[in-house]
Amino acid sequence: MRMAIQGVGITGAFGTGVDALRTALQTGQVPAENKTAENGYQAPVDKLVDFIPKRALRRIDHFSKMTLLSASLAIQDAKLETADRSRMGVVIATGYGTLQTTFKFLDSYLDYGYACSSPTHFSNSVHNAAAAHVSMQMQATAPSLTVTQFEMSVASALLSAQQWLAEGRVDQVLFGAVDESCEVLHYCRNQFFGAGEQGPIQPFAFDKQSAVAGEGATFLLLTADSEAAPYGFIDSVQMGNHTVSPLQLSNDELFIIGADGHRQCSSWYPQAVSDSNAVAYAPLYGSFLAAAGFDLAVAAVSQRDETIYLCPESSGSVGLLPTQKLTSQPLSCLKFDGGGNYGLIRLSR
Amino acid sequence: MSVKEKLKQVLIEDLNIEDVEPDEIADDLALFGEGLGLDSLDAVELVIIIQKHFGVEIKDMVESRPIFESINTLAAYIEANKS
Repeated sequence: MRMAIQGVGITGAFGTGVDALRTALQTGQVPAENKTAENGYQAPVDKLVDFIPKRALRRIDHFSKMTLLSASLAIQDAKLETADRSRMGVVIATGYGTLQTTFKFLDSYLDYGYACSSPTHFSNSVHNAAAAHVSMQMQATAPSLTVTQFEMSVASALLSAQQWLAEGRVDQVLFGAVDESCEVLHYCRNQFFGAGEQGPIQPFAFDKQSAVAGEGATFLLLTADSEAAPYGFIDSVQMGNHTVSPLQLSNDELFIIGADGHRQCSSWYPQAVSDSNAVAYAPLYGSFLAAAGFDLAVAAVSQRDETIYLCPESSGSVGLLPTQKLTSQPLSCLKFDGGGNYGLIRLSR
Repeated sequence: MSVKEKLKQVLIEDLNIEDVEPDEIADDLALFGEGLGLDSLDAVELVIIIQKHFGVEIKDMVESRPIFESINTLAAYIEANKS
């Protein structure tokens, strides 16, 4: 069953909102204030107070703030601020969940024992906490779910959203993809990849490790097939393994690929798609497991604008596709993990 | 730094109270309700904060309610019970 994209909300290193994303796509630039001293990417959340009183945010961590901000923006974009949201479900895809808060809670337990473990940290470290915050603040009282499957989180969670809509369990789904960059993550990445995460990310340099940690949250407001779909449609979501069941992709299709400078994952892309019909935007938001949701948001905006935007200059692509009119060519998002598992999301206008 | 000054600082930092400076919290300001506006979950966090930062344990929250009235009462309890 195809799904209609009614609204998009997003916050990432390029800024907050669809207009900021569009500006980044047009310029290929990320504002310097959203780069960290370690050359990482960070997502602003300051606009959240436009939607939720500051006082109500006191116990909400950064992960949930990014989540709430982009969910609020998606509802605003879909013009559902005053609608009855009792049949709106919430599905969030995340690679690691609330890493920073989870480790704060574990640290307090290890340092001071259970008697001094913060209940606030505990409640925010529960994996569905961000989705629960969204459900409560948006009064979206249909089912609420968080899916974690590393690089495949987005495709897997999207299948759940599709199933809910097909079953009629919900009328709308607030579908989100969220991951955060934090001290713990930087420590782990340094252990795996060395201290050389200096960038720039070169998604098309498939044999080179060039990933830089990013973060952010994006939400799509999805409904069942509908005549009105400002950002077009998600026609199908397919998951599989390229070794077991090789992808047969047409050269007529355009792909937004999830290559983000991770050598192990990136090595699969040239086996499935050609440089000449692929674009990648990881340099605009960084490398993180849920970034496939950002690729999907870019696809939605591209469909709305009827434009495929040029990859950021640093991409490392030999034959960069120029910014061009998106005509009748089908657009898809493709994400590989290190083991050849893939998530393929096909869209249409 | 005095116990009262440290208390005000850790309250703001650990309870994530925004737009309030330590010197804006009067020593006799009610911490809960109309005063600083803390609530029951903050009370649990306060017990932890006092044990973590001052090494003083508060075992019975119901009997200890008067301790949580203000910075004055909290500081007095800490001074009387710290080892």
